[in-house]
Parts: sequence; structure tokens; C-alpha cells
Amino acid sequence: MEAFQGLIKGSLGSPAAIAGTLRETTPLLIAGIAVFFALRAGLFNIGVEGQLTVGACACAFVVLKIPGPFGIVLGTIAGMVAGGLWAMPAGLIKAYRGGHEVITTIMLNNVAGLFTLALVSGPMKDPTQEGTTTANIAESSHLPAVYDQNSLTISLALVFGLVGAIYLAGWFKRTVAGYEVRAVGANPTAAAVAGISAKNVIVRAMTTSGMIAGFAGAMQVLAFEHRFYGGFSPGYGFDALGVALLAGQSAFGLIPSSLLFGILAKGGTAIQIYGVPKGITTVILGVLIVVAAAIRYRKAKAVES
Amino acid sequence: MIVLTILISTITLSAPLILAALGGYTSERSGIINIGLEGKMLMAACVTSLAAAAFNNAVMGALCGIGSATLLSLLHWLLTQKFSLDHIISGMAINAIAMGGTNFLDRAFTDTERTSGVPVLPSLTLKLGSGATFPISIYLILAFLLPGLLALYIRRSRAGLRLLAVGNDPDKSRLMGVRPLRVRLVAALATGLFTGLAGAMILSNVGRFTNEMTAGRGYIALAALILGGWRPLQAMLACITFGLFEAIQIQLQGTNVLGAKIPSEAWSALPYLVTVIALAGFIGKSRAPLGLGKP
Amino acid sequence: MTGISKRFGAVQALDSVDLHVKAGAIHALVGENGAGKTTLMKILYGALHPDSGQLSVKGSSTEFRSSAQAIAAGVGMVSQHYGIIPELSCLQNLMLGAEDGPIIRSEEARQRAEELARSMGFRFDWNADASLLSPAAAQKLEILKLLWRKAEIMILDEPTAMLSPADGDALFHSLRKLTEDGATVILVTHRLPEVFDHCSQVTVLRGGKRVAEKAVFETSKNELAELIVGKALESNEVRNPELGSTRLQITRLQVFNDRGAEALKSINLEVKSGEIVGIAGVDGSGQRELVQSLVGTRPISQGTITFDDLPISSESPAMRIAAGLRLIPEDRHEDGVIEEWSLEENAALGLQRLFPFSKKGKIDIRRRAEEAAKIAQRFSTKHGGLAQPMSSLSGGNQQRFVAARALDIEPKLIVAFQPARGLDLAATAEVYRGIRDACSAGACALVVSFDLDELLENCDRVVAMNRGEVFEPPPNKELDRDAIGRLMVGAQ
Repeated sequence: MEAFQGLIKGSLGSPAAIAGTLRETTPLLIAGIAVFFALRAGLFNIGVEGQLTVGACACAFVVLKIPGPFGIVLGTIAGMVAGGLWAMPAGLIKAYRGGHEVITTIMLNNVAGLFTLALVSGPMKDPTQEGTTTANIAESSHLPAVYDQNSLTISLALVFGLVGAIYLAGWFKRTVAGYEVRAVGANPTAAAVAGISAKNVIVRAMTTSGMIAGFAGAMQVLAFEHRFYGGFSPGYGFDALGVALLAGQSAFGLIPSSLLFGILAKGGTAIQIYGVPKGITTVILGVLIVVAAAIRYRKAKAVES
Repeated sequence: MIVLTILISTITLSAPLILAALGGYTSERSGIINIGLEGKMLMAACVTSLAAAAFNNAVMGALCGIGSATLLSLLHWLLTQKFSLDHIISGMAINAIAMGGTNFLDRAFTDTERTSGVPVLPSLTLKLGSGATFPISIYLILAFLLPGLLALYIRRSRAGLRLLAVGNDPDKSRLMGVRPLRVRLVAALATGLFTGLAGAMILSNVGRFTNEMTAGRGYIALAALILGGWRPLQAMLACITFGLFEAIQIQLQGTNVLGAKIPSEAWSALPYLVTVIALAGFIGKSRAPLGLGKP
Repeated sequence: MTGISKRFGAVQALDSVDLHVKAGAIHALVGENGAGKTTLMKILYGALHPDSGQLSVKGSSTEFRSSAQAIAAGVGMVSQHYGIIPELSCLQNLMLGAEDGPIIRSEEARQRAEELARSMGFRFDWNADASLLSPAAAQKLEILKLLWRKAEIMILDEPTAMLSPADGDALFHSLRKLTEDGATVILVTHRLPEVFDHCSQVTVLRGGKRVAEKAVFETSKNELAELIVGKALESNEVRNPELGSTRLQITRLQVFNDRGAEALKSINLEVKSGEIVGIAGVDGSGQRELVQSLVGTRPISQGTITFDDLPISSESPAMRIAAGLRLIPEDRHEDGVIEEWSLEENAALGLQRLFPFSKKGKIDIRRRAEEAAKIAQRFSTKHGGLAQPMSSLSGGNQQRFVAARALDIEPKLIVAFQPARGLDLAATAEVYRGIRDACSAGACALVVSFDLDELLENCDRVVAMNRGEVFEPPPNKELDRDAIGRLMVGAQ
């Protein structure tokens, strides 16, 4: 009980704690959007982890060379392209070879981690520092905050995430392309009869998902970390899968569910002073995912009968 | 000398991969997709360490470790088969529960005063020429014996035949009087045993538990299983190859090859890259068990 | 089997049916699709439980709670869908579920398998993958599976559906040999020649009732054909609507099914403007593959399909829809709707790129709702609101919705597979009137049904499909029940 209070206090108890929670929420929200997008097409993009990492790395590479607002835009684009390219093979293999996207993306995650680690150990390494990290990006390359008072900071990246989730909810409802993506995810045979090419949708959905993940990585570099280093993502991709599963059918759901994950992440660090290991929050997340999936299954069954 | 060292470490490094891949084999051959190998190994390693310290007994440690992996495996069976949960979601959840749970258990119960490692099963140390040593543990022997025995058993037994049948077509199997749920339950128990052995082995090689000490070996084992076309002996070969990559990487750390410095990460990434390329190229759907993921 | 009855929901699948099979006989069970043949056999095999009725095997009254009990009592069944698992070897398939013990002694098993095969005059490479077996060899392996399980009563559900005539003859040769050795065979079939060439007794089911049980020598093909399809209530006049020019032209179309067998053998067919052409035939004669190749979800290996001089066989499914092709699919659950979506969203399925559902890639939510209301109203779909999920509708109401959707926006070519499936008589008439109206307004239609009477009543002409070929009745007999019925069952 005391630990639970500590968790709430550590995540929402003060402006600084809220700022920390929002900072944790931001990558989870954007990466959650990425997972959610693929999930609508019936794809499990476990590769968001890797796509986010290469996106962040590509962004840092560009921004280190070109500082300033122009660099921010170019870096973001570079991150999205890198993330998209990292995801595309999984989509192609799924569509044309029938290889399960979960397997390919798990493998590509590991490659992404090692590949970027090699870069920051070698060519991209800041020679003045001990660890495997790039130099810090210039002050002019930081993504500005939209609100910064009384130690409560809200980054523009969070706004992007919120706008993205809201836009996506509308996109799925109101565009033919969104409709077709959802049709493939819900019933591929009916979609085929309705004149929708599942192969095409799978490749595009996977690539788009990767681009969003790359965007999440770029935002991490520009808004929060201000550099790229080895082991950049502490498992955002996996948490994002939980965020997306918990969100339910509409992209709006991503906002509360990413906030919940953010609270658990920030609060989990805080409760360590009570002697409660951080690991317990991961266990809670695992159980949450199972419960959310089970509820959805119950609903589907109740509707059937 | 260097060849001998690489050879020995290849064998040592590939052994837990082989055991984990066998766990994946029994599960996936019965039709249950299993991306939770990593979690089961990790849990087994942690519980082995805690139990061995608590009972001050290596055998008890290993048994409890295997038991914990089996429990997780049964949970996966229950969620996917009884509650029709998606196999991927269940596997992810089990990995999360294992990752967080081991962190919790380790912090909560590990005796921080303890300086020496926990008791582990004894191993026979061979002294080879030129000072190299080669520790042979019971796990190592099992890792290299079990694939052959399992392949033989699957081919020659009623249980093996039914496992293959259920994994390929649960509906037709049901029509022939086979009960897919029961077959998959037995397969899940076997998965628990094998992944438990793998986790216990990783622990006993080091002597104490550290966070995320399995370091993605569960995923490499899965890759090996796929590369081996979901067959035990071929999967073992893939594991040995991956073990060799890792051994070379350890040897080469910081040294120049042919005048150029190849980052050690390149060697570590090879297993994953090879698997992706294989999936894109020669392994289609064809070799996967057809009933994978079917209720 | 005496007085067997079985209901599925509102449908009386079997109504107090008797079946008496003499030991050592090959007994034919014939009837149209939906007559209740398979249901009756599943009851005998213990896979279904009857609501009422008596079952007696070898003189003693029994009750099977499961297939395992039926197998133990010596009843074996080869179902329509093969029970062979292709990834296992022939020997493994033979043994599965009836192994000798926990450890398989493959040498002994192989010897026993070899003996069984030799007694039937079959040869198998026991270690080869079953995926290499031809349909005929797979069928033989199925029979050996029954022998391996020591079945005395063997149920074969349309065993020759996938076989060439020569392989079919060989199969019956083996069956006769089995009966000489004391086995009893119940043959479920659509094919009258098989009955006359190979069986001694025949039972006819129609609409869940037994209409005849006769010795084969006492009857004739014409009499049986009449018993199967029933007497027509009134003879249909040849209709001659104002037909326009040819719009749909299928030329030498060859298509393979999922098993790689030839499902359509170079067929030709044309449909004129304003015309409704019915395709009669027993299930599995190639209708499914024909519809799929029209819609574009199955690749064609040879031939062309042109519509209004446009070679649509080389266009994508989306382009065909844009050209005016509309489908009332066979399996609305799998192909026609997305169950968890609302009626409103389902209204656009297949039409999503067309005006007024969308414009320049943007969905017009308001117009879609209007169209959905129109579609639901057309054949009076009962629903609890257009925002409710499709799964909240009963099957019949889903069918009304799907049929109305196909007729909604300027259909030019209507392809309908069992459009009246699950509908009562009034709704059936309504749907056909809808198709007729569309055709009067310039469309044309191709309707597949297993119910010959339904086609005769509603189409301008009816052709029969049998084993992947299209047979056109002789001139002036385009709606002649007897002529078409004979073409359907291959009894010219």
C-alpha cells in the first residue's frame, strides 16, 4: 500500500514528477501509435524497438552535422526514413514469403541494437567521452518545449504524439486507405473479395509503422536525450506493444494507455527507495496485457453467441 | 592454441542455445508459437540461483529452476489453449512477467552478504595440452545428447507421431481420435524442462544471477530453430554455428583482422541477419509446422 | 437406423429417417445437397447425436456418444474432406490414432500395412510423404486406414469427387472385394452411374426425409433422378425476355483448385444483356472456382473473361468492381462481411472506392449512412440500429443485407452464389426480384445455386455444371427440369 502511494506520488505528486511522467509517456505514445497502426492491419510489429533505435541514430547523425531548425527537420525525416526502411523487409517477407513478421522483427531488433552500437563505438563515437555515445547535439537543435514553468516541462514531442493519435483515429474512420487497412486486419478474405490487395496493404502498413517508430526515435534525440548512445531504448518497443493492446479499437485509447504506462515507468523508479524493485511494474504490465487481451476475447465471444 | 580455445568455447556457448531450441522445438511442433523461450530461461536461471542458495544444494536449485520454467510454460499453454489468447501476446506477456519477476525475486530474496557463488552441479574438468581446460558439466552432456535422442523418440514413438500430427493439422488429428489439447500439454511440459535446463546451465556457468543474464539467447535459439527448419538435429547445428560466431567474437575483441578492425558487434549480429535472409530467401512457409497458432 | 430425427436450430435436417443396410452390401445413399445425407452419416459415426431414433449395429441396439465409440464398434468413415495429413509419411498416416503401443515398431507396422495393401492390391511407398500421393492414392490410403482400424461398416462420403473415372472404377473394384470379405459399405454419392454400376441397394433422401429405399435392379436412372429432385409443381415456360447483345463472355477458361486439380476444364459461357443465367449442379462441380475467377481472387491458367469487350480477367479485383461487377458471396461470414464492424461500415465493403461512399479517397460518412439505411431497407433487414455490429444480426438478415448491397450502386454484372441461402420463400422471391429489376435496367446476372427449382423459377436459362464442365441443355429445353437434372448428375 505504501509502495502504491509511493508510486502515485513519484509519478504525479509534484510538477517535476508529472514532467518526468510525461517525458516517459511521450516515446510510449508515439511508439504506441506505430504498433497500433500495424496492429490495425493485423500485424504484430515487435520491431518498433529496432526501428526506433535506428531512427534515433539516423536523426542524431544528421543533426550533429547540420544544427538549427533546418537540421531538426532533416533529422526527423532521416529518422523516419531509417525506421521505415528497417521495417520494410519484415513487411515484404510477410507478404511475399509468408514469414511471420514477429520472427523477422525480433531478429531485426537485435541487428539494429548491435549495428547502432557498432556505430557509436566507432565512427559516430565522441572521442572525448568514455562510453559508447555520440557528442551532444547543439543547443539550437533541441526541440523546444511548449510549456516550461515551475519545473513542469511539456515538450513539443508530446504535442506531436497527441495530435498524431487524434489524427490517426480520424484517418482510420474517414479515409478509404484507412478503411482498407482495417479491412485487411479484420478479415483478409473478405477484404480480398472487396478488391483490396492484402500484400500491398501489409507492406505499406509495416513500412508506415516503422516510419512512425523512427519518428519516435528522432523525437527522443531532439527533445530529451540530445544525443545517441549504445542501448538507446530501454524497451520502448515492447512497452509500446502493451500500450497499443491496451488502447482497444480506437487510436484515442492510446493516450490514456500510454499515460498509464508512463505512470508505471516513472513511479516504478520512484518506489525503489521503498525497497520495492522496479521489476514489479514490468510484471504488472505483463499481467495488464494478458487481462486486456482476455477482455477483448470475451467481448468477441459474447458478440458471436 | 587459438583454434582449441575457440572450439572449447563454441561448445560451451552453444549448449544452452541447443537446450532452449529443443524447448522451442517441442512447443512449435505441437502448434504453439513460442516467443517466450527467453523468459522461461531467465526465470529458470533466477530460481535456480535462489533455490540453490536457500537449500544450499545444487540439485534442489536445478530442480526448482526447471520447475519454474515449467510453470511459465504451463501458463502459456493455459492462456493460448484454454483461453484462446493470441500466442504472440501470451509469449510477450510471459517474457515481461519473467523479466520483471526475476528482477523482483532477485532483489527481494538474494542474500547480498554472500560473496561466493551458489552451489552448482559439479563438472568434470578436462585438462588438454598447452594448459587449456575444458569443463564438462551434466548440462553440456545433455545438450549434445538430447537432440539425437529427441529426434529418435519423435520418430519412433506414439507420442512423437501425435505431436507432429497435431502440429500440422489439429482438426484432422481430432478426427482420428487424437486429443490436441492433451498432446500440447505434454509438449508444454517438455518445453518447460528444456528451457529450464538451459536457464539452469547459464546460471551454473556463472554461479550467480544477474539481471537479464540470458542476454537474448532465447531469441537466438528461436532463430536457430527456424534456420534448422523446425528439426532438432538441424537446429543443433544452427546453434553450434551461432556458438562459433560468439566464440570468434570473444576471441577477436579488439584485435585486427586482415588489417581492418571489424567491430565485434558484426559477429554478434550474424545469427540474426542470417535468419532474416533465410526467411526472405529459402525458408518459406513450407517448413514451418502448418498448424502453428491454430486452435 | 430407425426413425432418426435431428434439428439444427430452425432447420429440421432429418425427419424420422429409416436406413436399413444389409451386411455385405454396397448401399448407396443419394440426395441433393442439404437432403441430410452427411448429417445421417455423422450420427452413425458418433460425431453427432440424434434428437430421437434408434441405432442398431449387427443386431444389437447401441448409442454412440463419440466417434471413438463408433470406431470401437467397427464403424469407420472417410469424410468428404480428406483426413490425410500431408506432412506425415504414408505409414504414419495409416497408424495415427491407432498405434500399437507407446513405442512404434515400424518394421512390424510396415509388414502389417504391406499385408493390408497386398490384400487390396494396392502398393505404397510407406516412407514417402503423404503429400506426394495423388488424390486416388490418398483415397486408397483412407480405405486402408479403415482396415487398419478393423472397421466392418465403412461410410464413404463422395469418395469419387476428386478421382478420374479410371481411378473411380478401381476404387469400386476394391470396395467390392471388401464386401466379399464381409465388410459393409455405405456410399454417399450424387452420381447415379455409380449407383447402377456398383451398388445393390439405394436409399433416397429429400429434404430430410426418406423418400425411397429400393434394390437397384428394381429402379431406373430416370426414376431415381425424379426421386432425388422431386416432381416439379408446374412446368416452366421458356422465357424470352428482351435480350440485348452479349456482355459477359467466358472463353476456354481453365482454372485449378487448391489441390492443383483441374477445376474448370476449358469452359465457355456467355451472358447477354438483361439475362439471368442459372448454374445448376451438385456442390463441388467447379462453381466455386468459376465465381472466384470471375471476381479475381483465383488465378486463371488459360482462357479469357471479357465483360463489355473489356478483358477483365487481366484486371485487378478492384478494377472489376469499378467496372460494375458485384458479388453476393457464397460464404457471407467469411467473404461478405466483417462481423465486428457496424452495418454502416459493412455497407461500404467492396464499394468503398465508389461514389457516393467516398470521393477522392475521403469517406463520406453521411452518404454512407444513407446508403446503409437504403440497403437495410431494401430486403427488410431486421437490425437494432446501423451502428450495431454485423455480428448482432442473424444469418438470414446478414444475407438480406449482403444481397441488397450487391444491388445498391449501378450493378452491371451480378455474380450470385446461393443468393437465397438461409432465406425464407418470401425473401428469396424478393432477392430474385431485385436481381430481375437490375437486369431489366441493363445489368446481367450469373446465379449459382444447388437448388434446381429455385433456378428454374427465377432464371432465363439454366446450364448445368458437372465435374468442371458446363453443359447447356438442348434448344428449347433451357428450363426443362428433367433435361437439366440429368446433366447435373451425369446421366445424359
